[in-house]
Amino acid sequence: MAQVKEITRKLEEIHKKIKAEIPWEPVGPTPMPEIPDLRQWDMRLLKTYAPFYAPFCDLCCFCTYGKCDLTEGRRGACGIDIATQQARFVLLACLMGCSAHAAHGGHILEFLIERHGPDKKIDLGTFIEVEAPNIRTVVGMKPETLGDLVIALDYVFKEIGHLLDSCHTGQEGSALDYESKALHASMLDHVGMEVADIAQIVGFGYPTSVADTPLVELGWGAIDKTKPVILVSGHNPATSTVLIDYLREHNLEDQVEVCGLCCTALETTRYSDKAKIVGPLSRALFFMRTGVADVIMTDEQCIRTDTPQEAAKVGSAMIACLDKAMYGLEDATETDTDEIVRRMVDNKEQFAILDPAKAAEVAVRVAMKIAPERKKGWLTEEEAIELAKKCTNCRMCEQVCPNLFNIGGGITEVAKGNFDLIRQQFLQCIGCGKCEQECPNNVPIFKIMQTAAGTETWKCRAGRGPVMDTEIRNVGAPITLGTIPGVIAIVGCSNYPDIGDIADMVEEFAKRRYIVVLTGCAAMAAGMKKDKDGLTVYEKYSPNFDAGGVVNIGSCVANAHISGAALKIANIFAALPLRGNYEVMADYVLNRVGACGVAWGAYSQKAASIGTGFNRLGVPVVLGPHSSKYRRLYLSRKEEDDWKVMDARKREIVDTVEPAPEHLAYVCETKEKAMPMIAKLCIRRNDTPQGRAIKLNHYVSLYKKYISPGLPEDLHLFVRRDADIPLVYKKEVREYLQKIGWKPREPIGLPTLIGTYPTKVPIDAVIH
Amino acid sequence: MSAVIPRHRVNVLTGIKSAKLIEDPVEYANLIKKAKRPLLVVGPLLLASTPDGKILMEYALNIAKACNIPICATAQTKGKIVELGVQPDCVYDVVEIVNALKDPDWKGVKKEGNHDLVMFFGIRSDLGNQGLSTLKHFAPHLKTMTLCKHYFPHASYSVPNFKKDEKWLEFLEGLIANLRKGD
Repeated sequence: MAQVKEITRKLEEIHKKIKAEIPWEPVGPTPMPEIPDLRQWDMRLLKTYAPFYAPFCDLCCFCTYGKCDLTEGRRGACGIDIATQQARFVLLACLMGCSAHAAHGGHILEFLIERHGPDKKIDLGTFIEVEAPNIRTVVGMKPETLGDLVIALDYVFKEIGHLLDSCHTGQEGSALDYESKALHASMLDHVGMEVADIAQIVGFGYPTSVADTPLVELGWGAIDKTKPVILVSGHNPATSTVLIDYLREHNLEDQVEVCGLCCTALETTRYSDKAKIVGPLSRALFFMRTGVADVIMTDEQCIRTDTPQEAAKVGSAMIACLDKAMYGLEDATETDTDEIVRRMVDNKEQFAILDPAKAAEVAVRVAMKIAPERKKGWLTEEEAIELAKKCTNCRMCEQVCPNLFNIGGGITEVAKGNFDLIRQQFLQCIGCGKCEQECPNNVPIFKIMQTAAGTETWKCRAGRGPVMDTEIRNVGAPITLGTIPGVIAIVGCSNYPDIGDIADMVEEFAKRRYIVVLTGCAAMAAGMKKDKDGLTVYEKYSPNFDAGGVVNIGSCVANAHISGAALKIANIFAALPLRGNYEVMADYVLNRVGACGVAWGAYSQKAASIGTGFNRLGVPVVLGPHSSKYRRLYLSRKEEDDWKVMDARKREIVDTVEPAPEHLAYVCETKEKAMPMIAKLCIRRNDTPQGRAIKLNHYVSLYKKYISPGLPEDLHLFVRRDADIPLVYKKEVREYLQKIGWKPREPIGLPTLIGTYPTKVPIDAVIH
Repeated sequence: MSAVIPRHRVNVLTGIKSAKLIEDPVEYANLIKKAKRPLLVVGPLLLASTPDGKILMEYALNIAKACNIPICATAQTKGKIVELGVQPDCVYDVVEIVNALKDPDWKGVKKEGNHDLVMFFGIRSDLGNQGLSTLKHFAPHLKTMTLCKHYFPHASYSVPNFKKDEKWLEFLEGLIANLRKGD
């Protein structure tokens, strides 16, 4: 009885917070879900897509009982086993990622509420009514003002506290429960990201309800070195937007060059199309070491911990603008501006300045003063050849390279005047700088690589924010029926085996009429390759969220608009209510929305939580080879796993046999393997025969193009009836199916996992 | 615990159970011959050629042929294997085959039971070492072995870091010759 009272009290409290009395939709079963509320859904997913662990380390060294050896079935002093320890690591990574985005959102929100007040209306333009699909689904609230976003974030922060608590030594003893918590943290990440980007759009006036955003300059060759140059680096645009404001107010926008690294670059070009994108994180150290930036302003997340040292080496001034990374610098937020400028110019001191307006003024004044005195020349090929002669090709650099290649080979070729190999290696370089640190002859590898980098420039489309409701109405049917073969979300960081892979993937799927959406470093990398006519994918393909479109959604936090688009398909197209209705929405996405994430260069904890958040929503993610170091994947066993669903129309459980989608989190070793895998992971149980035939056509043709002239070994699992066979391969596939004794299967009216596991959600809830 | 440092520092062992280092191709050959159901997992690094124009995959195919070892083709290697006149026994990517191998009840490539010795050859070293870690921790029913030119600490048996490719190729030739000798 007491327990019932407590549940009722809690529910009343939640209903009050989410303003349940506003009847835009009925409140579903899980508004503001806590750790156990979606656990059954997670367990159902994990039954088919079991966690696959690849421990990076045999030990646990979290507490003073340890180190504890966890090999050969041993448990640690607290009782933990190796699988649970890996799952705990995964949860911690997802929590770091979720916290980074949520704290970013919290900071931006505070800044914008101070500027506009809490009652500033959320208006995302004429074509977006479902403004916050993640918040609506998870929190159960329709945010109308900036102040409402605070309610969503408060909920996220509360859950983060509970989840982090569970990582303490001697608590959770189940790997599966840790995975459920990681899925929970990562779902919350999408709420935090959505808060951040909605706040930015509303508060800074970023583009919204528009697809055709400007094409902006990309590449360090685009930067006018003759002007004072300010580099903004990181993710939080409070600093860079105020910087642009300052330049505009003082008529200096044409006199000072603003360029950006990583997501702050994307945010800044949403605010000013005069700003330039230097490139993804993998270009950060290269660019800093050119010394082209007169002032470097860091904000948060992917900004490198050695920025002050690197800036000092090349004589760039440096300001830390956010409390997340103050680098041990003097906090000059309260110091007189003239005094800071004087000390930065005369004494070359670096400061933390946490007031964006003051930081902007200081940056501009310092840049204008020091720029005329500084030399900013590129290394010439002749100079590179001389520097390269110190290399003995001892291959020490190869040993520490995260991408495992022998940079010494390229450098020794440079010494002979041949730049071909180093140019190829530059595309594989992730820019960590460990090679140079290891070099016994102090060869300035990064400086030499400047010559390989060249000064080529490209175009990147400015990030556009949420997918419009009108676009969802147009593509909802073709996506769920399969006639648009899939939505490919190419997202994440720049830890690529080869940066050129991204543009190749975009090109391959856009020309096949998939919808390709991009965010973050991947959105920049996509623009860093030209075809024979000198065009990038952004210039070649339509910016619309439609078949064959290449859509830059925005920065990391804009990933919430991709999960949001999937939710909108369920809500706008299928008319399923999303309010507090996560399980139904995720079930819909898993069974019907042929979407696949590709995080080919994922390196960060944020990428871990973004990807895992997609997984809970039923979207599979293909990862590059480095991501095996995340320690965990979600893999099925194809022919041996549970592919049963409820046919909601007939109310009976059916064994579909087909592994669709086959995996939820999957690592590929090569781009060639990834191509057909991405196409395969867009297959859904709900595909119509026409849609399935289109999807299989791409699967087979990509397999033939990249793997082998034959047919995929698992093709039979995805052919339900003869009508599913792609026309162009009809004869070959029929012969193969006959040879292996394939039998046609009955179609399923309305496939759902609801009803196949214990849940409070009634089957009726999935019928639309 | 071995003091061998792997070629790539990303693979440095943080733990206590590292691969037994074997430099003698005869000893390697004996381990392979002793196995009841070995499996050779080949990766895309074998698509490269040696300085004398031989494709590395040919070494793998010769090893398999010498003892009738089934081949699992990962990544895009199937095309080249078929081109060389061999049909791989199965096609999985590396994480998929590892996922199957860790199940003791898996019937194996030839449906005769799970494998007792798994050889990795030509998989990029960070991914390969991670896969071997999975097997080390979650597949106590099998042993693992690597044929690449570097030391892999998460394997059960590994070759050393060969400083020169010629030495490594010599090792492989020696291995093939010993496998061909029979018992």
